[in-house]
Amino acid sequence: MRNGKWISAYAAGAYLFLHLPLLVLAVFSFNASKFTVWEGFSLQWYGQIFENSQLLESTWNSLLIALASTMLATSIGTLCAYGIWKRKAPVLSGSLYLSLVTPEIVTGISLLALFQWSFRFLGLQLGMHTVILAHVAFCLAYVVITVLARLRTFDAALEEAALDLGATPWQAFRLVTLPAILPGVIAAALLAFTVSIDDYVITSLVAGVDSETLPMVVYQMARRGVSPVVNAISTLIVLGLGVLILISERLQR
Amino acid sequence: MNRRLFLLSVPGALAGCMRSRTKRLNVMNWGDYIGATTIRDFEREFQVKVRYGTYDNNEELFGKVMGGNSGWDVVFPTQNRVDPMRQLGLLAPLDHTRLPSLNNLFPRFQKPLWDSSLDWCVPYMWTTSGIAYNARLYHAAPESWKDLWDERARGKLTMLDDVDDVFGAALAKLGYPYNSANPDHLRHAQREIVAQKPLVRAYISTEARDQMVAGDVLIAQTFATTAQLAIDGNADVVYRHPKDPFAVYCDCGVILRESTRTELAHEFLNYTLRPDVSAGIAQTIRTATPNQKAFELLSATARANATLYPPAEVLDRAEWPLPLPPEIVRLRDRLWTEVKAG
Amino acid sequence: MHRLRAWFLAPARLVNLVCFVLPLCIVLAYSLLSRGVYGGVELPWTFDNYRRLFDPLYAGIFLRSLWIAGLSTALCLVLGSPLAWFTARADRKRRNLYLNLVMIPFWTSFLVRTYAWMFLLRDTGLINTALMSVGLISEPLPLLYNNGAVMLGLVYGYLPFLVLPLYTSLEKIDPSMLEAASDLGAKPSTAFWTVVVPMAKPGMRAGSILVFISCIGTYLTPDLLGGSKTIMIGNVVQNQFTAARDWPFGAACSLVLMGLVMLFLRSDEL
Repeated sequence: MRNGKWISAYAAGAYLFLHLPLLVLAVFSFNASKFTVWEGFSLQWYGQIFENSQLLESTWNSLLIALASTMLATSIGTLCAYGIWKRKAPVLSGSLYLSLVTPEIVTGISLLALFQWSFRFLGLQLGMHTVILAHVAFCLAYVVITVLARLRTFDAALEEAALDLGATPWQAFRLVTLPAILPGVIAAALLAFTVSIDDYVITSLVAGVDSETLPMVVYQMARRGVSPVVNAISTLIVLGLGVLILISERLQR
Repeated sequence: MNRRLFLLSVPGALAGCMRSRTKRLNVMNWGDYIGATTIRDFEREFQVKVRYGTYDNNEELFGKVMGGNSGWDVVFPTQNRVDPMRQLGLLAPLDHTRLPSLNNLFPRFQKPLWDSSLDWCVPYMWTTSGIAYNARLYHAAPESWKDLWDERARGKLTMLDDVDDVFGAALAKLGYPYNSANPDHLRHAQREIVAQKPLVRAYISTEARDQMVAGDVLIAQTFATTAQLAIDGNADVVYRHPKDPFAVYCDCGVILRESTRTELAHEFLNYTLRPDVSAGIAQTIRTATPNQKAFELLSATARANATLYPPAEVLDRAEWPLPLPPEIVRLRDRLWTEVKAG
Repeated sequence: MHRLRAWFLAPARLVNLVCFVLPLCIVLAYSLLSRGVYGGVELPWTFDNYRRLFDPLYAGIFLRSLWIAGLSTALCLVLGSPLAWFTARADRKRRNLYLNLVMIPFWTSFLVRTYAWMFLLRDTGLINTALMSVGLISEPLPLLYNNGAVMLGLVYGYLPFLVLPLYTSLEKIDPSMLEAASDLGAKPSTAFWTVVVPMAKPGMRAGSILVFISCIGTYLTPDLLGGSKTIMIGNVVQNQFTAARDWPFGAACSLVLMGLVMLFLRSDEL
């Protein structure tokens, strides 16, 4: 049961659709003009990346925040999905869904209000920790929903068999269920990473003095026009992460 | 929860301690709104470390600093937010003895409407709203806002995605003040905007720049600084100040009351008032400096650029948008929502 | 088992409490307060913000948002399902690679991605130029700044939200089950309806919910690809917290939106 010709052709088309804008922005990262009008080949934008400390620092922050919040959200969310799958937790799952429905600006403003108010007593300031916390919170629902979709196709009898054979509940989870739902967990982590690295509205509100992210820098350029430097750094990020993925694929084989 | 927050904040606190040996200043400004080396030069000269952040609209700035513990020292709101910020107690008064370079400003900017003796803010950069058009491809040179209601502009016209300026242009077209707070004027203006909507290709702000360069959009309501960038990319683009009233906006440096580094903050504001610094910034970001001494440093062509520096008699027609009463803001938002939903 | 489950849920409960439930209480309070002169909120308490929502203007905007979000979700299902199927059926070693290929474009900034689409769609853009140079059209097609462009942007932006959960369900289908079905003489369509669809359901449901919810709250796509000529409920909310400086009304709007969407989703068990 392999993929047939038609479905493979369709998938190729779909990938083209998904990657077309990526190609466009990669091409424009080599444009001599700063406008979206082709004027000739140039590497000037790549050169400018390294002169722009704000851009470099914010990229680093973005990657760090996305990585940390993906790891936290995926572990917390997977455990949570398992718990919900075992027995419904209507209040928790309801409020997770509700957190998805909340418009971003509302989440951002209310989180900011909460942080500002409570930090006055705690003597803390906004920073990386508030951004990571906010990201974990909004990634959580994506993780839970994705992992649950996988768990719902998992046969609970397998786990019961493990328990009957004398496994502790933790062992049954770790050795039987978790490996079986791993594709779901990986997909959830990918989703969380993507949502986190691209978030602007919430991040910009809860970010502090030291935690500017790349989307913040990009959006803030928007009033005066986004510079092709952003295309250049986006291309580098995609290439860098792409190579990392390829390497990890090779290593797995 | 507290423990997690605590644990997460430990690295930040450590980093903070390590940095505190050199003096620090936290400056937040509009995105892409400073010279390439301004901050570095300031750091070097004053032996300090500047944390430079950016924001993309006044409301984002407001939301952040309203709590009074944002961590920023110097920010740059637009003129119509200065007085609200002062009324909310967010601003620290300026000490003019620490700002000797204030005298470099044009007289017009030394006694502005919104802060008549500059007790709270230092004008930083300014720009106007007007009409950009493609002189080669568009059939006629627009003279006044009513030319944005020209049937022949259909599909080639964009308006700013900004309630102040779309209503401003319609009000000015009707002969009302650009910044009118009269509900009848606003309702009348809304009818004009509804009538114009079929001609409008899009309500966009900076995105108009590339489309003017590419020739998709032939006539647009834009800010002078956006138009200037488009002109740099396509010499056919021309920017005009209409014969009616138009808006002029000035972003101003202010010191937040929460700041514990007001001395250094004053140094920074004074630094932005230096002629060479201000001229450098204005040249890099392609906008107008309010600083007369800086203006005099510019090349003759730059000084004669009527896009950025309209002659005095043109600038006399301009209006400074100032804060509107809340019920008028609410009415205008509702009228604008009706336009968009229609 | 119960104790373990409680421990499993505890971290999520904690994060949810601090980062959602408490802020939600703040939003609720905001929605019952009066607007501050320059943004923010002030006393006195009032129901006025909810009363103002009973207005055909906002009802119309809400219905249009529902329609656009629903249609985009349906399109995502139609376009995304084959891709999820392809990924799930691929060689086991390649699955993660294909999955990553779906996500990679989204590791760039939303804004530059959208600008790339604007370049593709505008009159002098790639698509129109290409079509005109091969002589298929003589006048540029109006591809940008209409509802079609908004829908395209939504489908593009949220397709991964459908593909990933659906993939996780489909991946579970054992090829031998399908082979067994056909060995036993089942027609491919029968095998599809009896084996594939029941397995795909949880993923389709999860994916559709993610796409639908994301679409209904969106505000930037209608602004950038629709040229702000239409307005969705997300724009109304966004606007109250920015240009209109009416936080209480924005809070009330968003709570009503959340309530209505939850009613809509209730048929799905959570």
